[in-house]
Amino acid sequence: MLRFIATRFARALVTIVMVVTFAFVVLRLSGDPALLIMSVDAPPEAIAAFRQAWGLDEPLWQQYLKYFGAIVQGDLGRSMRDGRDAIVLVTERIPATLALTLPALAIKLGIGIPAGVYAALHRNSLTDRLVMTTAVLGFTVPSFVLGLLLVLVFAVQLGWLPSGGQGTWRHAILPVITLGVGGAAVLARFTRSAMLEVLGQPYIRTASAKGVPWRLVVRGHALPNAAIPTVTIVGFMVGSLIAGAVVVESVFSWPGVGRLLVVAVANRDLAVVQCILLLVAATMVTSNLVVDLLYGALDPRLRQMRAGGAH
Amino acid sequence: MSDSVLPAAAVAAPPKPRTRLPPAVALGIAWIGLMLAVALLAEVISPYAYTALDLRNRLSPPVFMDGNWAHVLGTDELGRDVLSRLFFSIRMSLLIAFGATIIGAAFGTTMGFLAAHFRGVVEQAVLTLVDFSASLPFLILALAVLAFFGNSLMLFIVLLGFHAWERYARIARGLAISAGAQGYAAAVRQLGATPLRVYWRHILPNIASTLIISMTLAFPEVILLESGLSFLGLGVQPPATSLGNMLGYGREYLTRAPWILLAPAFTIILTTLAISLVGDWLRDRVDPTLR
Repeated sequence: MLRFIATRFARALVTIVMVVTFAFVVLRLSGDPALLIMSVDAPPEAIAAFRQAWGLDEPLWQQYLKYFGAIVQGDLGRSMRDGRDAIVLVTERIPATLALTLPALAIKLGIGIPAGVYAALHRNSLTDRLVMTTAVLGFTVPSFVLGLLLVLVFAVQLGWLPSGGQGTWRHAILPVITLGVGGAAVLARFTRSAMLEVLGQPYIRTASAKGVPWRLVVRGHALPNAAIPTVTIVGFMVGSLIAGAVVVESVFSWPGVGRLLVVAVANRDLAVVQCILLLVAATMVTSNLVVDLLYGALDPRLRQMRAGGAH
Repeated sequence: MSDSVLPAAAVAAPPKPRTRLPPAVALGIAWIGLMLAVALLAEVISPYAYTALDLRNRLSPPVFMDGNWAHVLGTDELGRDVLSRLFFSIRMSLLIAFGATIIGAAFGTTMGFLAAHFRGVVEQAVLTLVDFSASLPFLILALAVLAFFGNSLMLFIVLLGFHAWERYARIARGLAISAGAQGYAAAVRQLGATPLRVYWRHILPNIASTLIISMTLAFPEVILLESGLSFLGLGVQPPATSLGNMLGYGREYLTRAPWILLAPAFTIILTTLAISLVGDWLRDRVDPTLR
């Protein structure tokens, strides 16, 4: 078990290092930030001063080492636009993003999983068809289309809710629904197929045949086994709490991390983009790690297999 | 989902040589055919050039909202014909999605083959890259790349090509390893074929159906990704137009002229829906193990 955990930790660290390197390579080598930030007709001395101030005049490997060292110390640089610490800029947006993504996650779990389980248990019933049709629609309608359609109906036509911005809790309703519906659809579809897979197993038939009431078969045998694959996708949803609202925040002009990222990308504000990239990577990797460990806890077979080095 | 489309196929024990096409799938194929025709014939069937301005008819509503027949789907804020723009947007979005899907499949398959052929360090390196790609939301990576490389159409297509490459790599690696253990690959190798020939002429055709189905399933995702990025103003740049781009600009006229936005919105929904339906159906028919 210890070896299993250690390998997972090492893997997570390697991923983080790769993201840092990726950020450095992509954001530093692809153009001269000095020329992008300063106007074209800026005097050469000013450009040179800018380069020196940001360490852009040093050899790349030195920049990379410095960059890496700074990140290890928690220094993620300052925004090239307004000179504030990138990490501060980003962290002060996190609450706004979580205000959308946490309720949306609750909707996804609260609707998606029960709907999927119900559809699987009543396969080919009218409800199953309904759930699956909705799931397909939720899967194929992109969030920005859904968001704009909701705005069109509930803000423009009916005038019930505000169309964008952040103020009261009513501003959050449409973005939360937009985020939640798509995820709930994906989760319902996934849970359903995980359940169906399990329900087709011989041990379910055995349990029914020996006279265990169906309710208990479902609760005791089907649900725990179907939970194993479902945990993966839920982990992915938890991991994208920070990054999952980029498009929706833009649709509703919600001042969260995603909106900041889009603006930073449009302005080519290096430090902020890097900071968000690392933050997203860290949350993703952490939640993947937790999922892996949960897997081990949920499924003893995996634990033994991996700990034994058979995998 | 596919079960609701094709309830009989999963249960029927002896597979019939020819199963009937489910109506939803038939409709999906028809819609895809229509979209392809529109993309190919955009110049011929467009009533106007997609950049042509008609300043006297700005924001004119479509026919079914009491507009006139000069602009069937209405016009945008510059008086450009929405129908013509829609046709060219479909062409652009499909072109990008095709290009990106093919690049992703080619790159991913090559990486998978490399891993399967060399094993050892190369395989570990490929698998680490696969893990890396799978562990980050692609949208964020794409945004980071766009932040600095800026926007050219070629770069945008190549960038989107990296979406889902890790899926092809995984599939190709797994299938190539098991194919390598089968008689036919060993036989050709014994006859003196180069590895390139073994992979290209013998293993690839044998695993092509699985790869093609994965491409069908990834295709709608690429369309959504392209339209999402273009919607954010970070994808296709004007004067070129794509479905997401139309939506992004049409959004400013949501209250006064919702038709600018609704036409591309429904096109995106129907196209991704059609391809998903057909892709799922193909997968269930040809390769149920892919689920």
